[in-house]
Amino acid sequence: MNTFEFLLQGLLIAAQPMNLLYALIGVTLGTAVGVLPGIGPALTVALLLPVTYQLDPAGSLIMFAGIYYGGMYGGSTTSILLNTPGESASIVTALEGNKMARAGRGGPALATAAIGSFVAGLIATLGLAFIAPYIVKMALIFGPREYFALMVLAFVTVSSAFGDSTLRGLTSLFVGLALAMIGIDQLSGQARLSFGIPDLLDGIEVTTLAVAMFAIGESLYIAAQGDRGPDKIEAVRGSVWMSATDWARSWKPWLRGTAIGFPIGAMPAGGAEIGTFLSYAAEKRLTKHPEEFGNGAIEGVAGPEAANNASAAGTLVPLLTLGLPTTATAAIMLAGFQQYGLQPGPLLFATNPQLVWGLIASLLIANLMLLVLNLPLIGLWVKLLSIPKPWLYAGIMLFATLGTIGANPSVFELGMLLAFGLLGYAMRVFGYPIAPVVVGLILGPLAEQQLRRALSISQGDLTTLVASPVALVLLLIAAAALIVPLILRARGRGQVLSQLAASED
Amino acid sequence: MKQFFLASILAGAIALPAFAADYKIIAPANPGGGWDQTARTLQTVMQSEGISGNVQVVNVPGAGGTIGLAQFASQDKGNPNALIVGGYVMVGAILTNKSPVTLKDVTPIARLTGEYEAIVVPASSPFQTFGDLVEALKKDPGAVSWAGGSAGGTDHITVGLIAKEAGVDPKKINYIAYSGGGEALAAILGAQVSAGISGYGEFESQVKAGTLRLLAVSSEERIEGVDAPTIKESGLDVVVENWRMVAAAPGLTDEQKAAVSADVEKLVKSAAWQEQLKTKGWQDTYLSGAAFDEQLAKDVSATEGILKEIGLVE
Amino acid sequence: MTNGTKPADVKRRPDWAALVIAAVLAVIAGVMFWDVSRLSGAAGYSQVGPTTVPYAIAVCLLGLAVWTVFEAWRGDFPEREHQQLGPVFWIVAGLAAQMLLLKVAGFSIATGLLFAFTAAGFGQRKLWKTIPFGIVFAFAVWVVFSKLLQLSLPAGPLEHLFF
Repeated sequence: MNTFEFLLQGLLIAAQPMNLLYALIGVTLGTAVGVLPGIGPALTVALLLPVTYQLDPAGSLIMFAGIYYGGMYGGSTTSILLNTPGESASIVTALEGNKMARAGRGGPALATAAIGSFVAGLIATLGLAFIAPYIVKMALIFGPREYFALMVLAFVTVSSAFGDSTLRGLTSLFVGLALAMIGIDQLSGQARLSFGIPDLLDGIEVTTLAVAMFAIGESLYIAAQGDRGPDKIEAVRGSVWMSATDWARSWKPWLRGTAIGFPIGAMPAGGAEIGTFLSYAAEKRLTKHPEEFGNGAIEGVAGPEAANNASAAGTLVPLLTLGLPTTATAAIMLAGFQQYGLQPGPLLFATNPQLVWGLIASLLIANLMLLVLNLPLIGLWVKLLSIPKPWLYAGIMLFATLGTIGANPSVFELGMLLAFGLLGYAMRVFGYPIAPVVVGLILGPLAEQQLRRALSISQGDLTTLVASPVALVLLLIAAAALIVPLILRARGRGQVLSQLAASED
Repeated sequence: MKQFFLASILAGAIALPAFAADYKIIAPANPGGGWDQTARTLQTVMQSEGISGNVQVVNVPGAGGTIGLAQFASQDKGNPNALIVGGYVMVGAILTNKSPVTLKDVTPIARLTGEYEAIVVPASSPFQTFGDLVEALKKDPGAVSWAGGSAGGTDHITVGLIAKEAGVDPKKINYIAYSGGGEALAAILGAQVSAGISGYGEFESQVKAGTLRLLAVSSEERIEGVDAPTIKESGLDVVVENWRMVAAAPGLTDEQKAAVSADVEKLVKSAAWQEQLKTKGWQDTYLSGAAFDEQLAKDVSATEGILKEIGLVE
Repeated sequence: MTNGTKPADVKRRPDWAALVIAAVLAVIAGVMFWDVSRLSGAAGYSQVGPTTVPYAIAVCLLGLAVWTVFEAWRGDFPEREHQQLGPVFWIVAGLAAQMLLLKVAGFSIATGLLFAFTAAGFGQRKLWKTIPFGIVFAFAVWVVFSKLLQLSLPAGPLEHLFF
């Protein structure tokens, strides 16, 4: 049988009514749990995996796929509506998405996220099916120096999430980088900035920081506005649906997001959030509506959401073809696959094609189910905003702490949640952007470790950093991204830049 | 209303001892990891075999398990129904993190499963045998880069022991630490490093597919079904097993300890446990009583010695 | 938010809060220098060791502190809206109560208090109604996550009453 026949057969099995029902249940459960701040896809899958064990292999595989996609999509819903991203990959979504929601455009924001996720999931899953072996070869070219160059590029592009002040953006970023230094240095085993406190040895959990700075910081800030803020946000202004303009402005970001997210997800040390940062930066550069960025630009939701989903499918490339679990979610999925007798590795496609294609078909069906379930629900989700504030925010606080307690029920962790919540509040008051702190915490250690690994392997030879063509090209792009706008701005020719950007697409 | 709550709190306090017969298992790691999986498998089997009616798993992650260990030693002292899962990684973590609580402060019951270390090179590597690799290491330790798990972990310790046995200063090894097995494996497959070291299970499918060459394993004798010599055969006396164990709380009476040991033995001998081992691909290396205590003491002293020589512990 | 550049209100009056921020940044940098100086710089074969990056970050933080002082002096910081601190105290008290009571009283009671205090922060001050409601709601959440999904959420007297 060839690839197509396997896929077709898988689809036929997955499309049986009973299996469709399992997919629907999986997507519903995944969305319901994933929607809680602090519970990202990894924890969602870990929590719900046992539910699937009761079913036959095909049914459990398809329900599992549903949970996975549901958990991922659930995170973006709360990011958009409540500005409370519970995991790193949906932080960027909150930047523009929440601004849209506040302007009564939550419906279109959720719709572009859902459809973008679907489009990206579809393309990336097909990519997984047909070009996985090639993608993985490319991913293996990436060694420490190439990753270091990629991190440099990510750092440069992050500046687009800085907001209106370079000083405050940079300060936020460096606060994040300083926090990233806390804990045991992975390469030398020495404890840094832990002050003898054992709870700090593992460093600061990204989800704890994200939940505290966004969910708790936001709640505190809203509370401190007292009666001045509007009692209820106007949930829907205009249509709850995407308008023709929204469609026209969304489809290119979906495709670009997919193109950025899929290969980055496939890289063993990539991670979904880096794809979302790069996609956001790209959309901000390419948009014809630069004035809307920061005030609710639909491109800033469409691109990163697509990138997020595409990179999730990308993560499956090394997992299935090499048996490499490259994210926490993938590690839990690997444990799940083993329950179904699926042993990921280089021989998987050859020895166990039925299961692999069954999984890929399940992913496609689950992806479709997600859309089927969520598009009609958008009207309902948006209504979340019309819950009276005391109850809405009391609920947010309950679920925000639930995620943290569930992962690690320690008083110290809750103390950190409180401390960072206050930090998030203070930063909002003084006009500091929040996202760069979390970005610094994620990218800082990655960049440092990859740099030190590269130098260690070359025994201290600095030229190794530019000795590979891939690394050199990435560094040159980073340098261009940094220098060109500076020069253009210095000459007062920002116009030229936007024209250049406009003519590029 | 208030009275109702007071009453319920009181009733709860009274009801508490009724549940004392149920085991509580501390998994000193995040959900999803190896220790967590071990704890949850214990939970499933204990319940299905009727060893305990209701088993609760509590995750206390952090610092190589030492945070969970410290909490367990202080909060569950004298509690005969509390267990903690742990392993060899804890031995190193206790030393590198200068943990005030050690395995002496709990009551080790038994070793449950274990895995041996495997040394691999990419298929394109010039090193054909383990001997070739050791020769290169002796010639220029810096030129041989090893990819493995976190600094001071089992993989790092094994490389240190190999260097020491080969007469190379363990401080000179060029060990590149990675966080997850996946990332290290990618670096080895991409030939970014000279050699890789990890549990055999991490490499198994790659070795079978021929993309990695297995040079040696760290077991005492050759492993059935694995086509590779032991490190010992090449003349270096290095045997390392990355084991997982279960321990009980400190301060138990001999009878209580015996009761826990009996429950664990019943569990290990059950068909359900053997079935779980098979699906998860875990080796049964059950060892209990004095034999386990002796092996534990040996591991602790050997680990301390090599961590000092690598320079991770003063 | 209006930028504080209107010549009428800002006569190069230093912004004290911003100066405090600068001081905090400088202190963080100082702590980093102090802590990292105690590490062994042993880097193996790489000249970038465990101390290099923390030092670099600390230096940048110092630079940012200086820059902040400069902007504070010129009054370049945006004007801040008036903050009502009462509600903030309610929520912080709720979080603190949850943190301290979690181990003793269990998830439902501790989190129920957080729920009620947060609602109070947002103007719903009828604690005799919100506390019981919060506890019941938190208990329902505990049942779902702890019993159905096997998440380890601390149990207290209330949870032991039923399970």
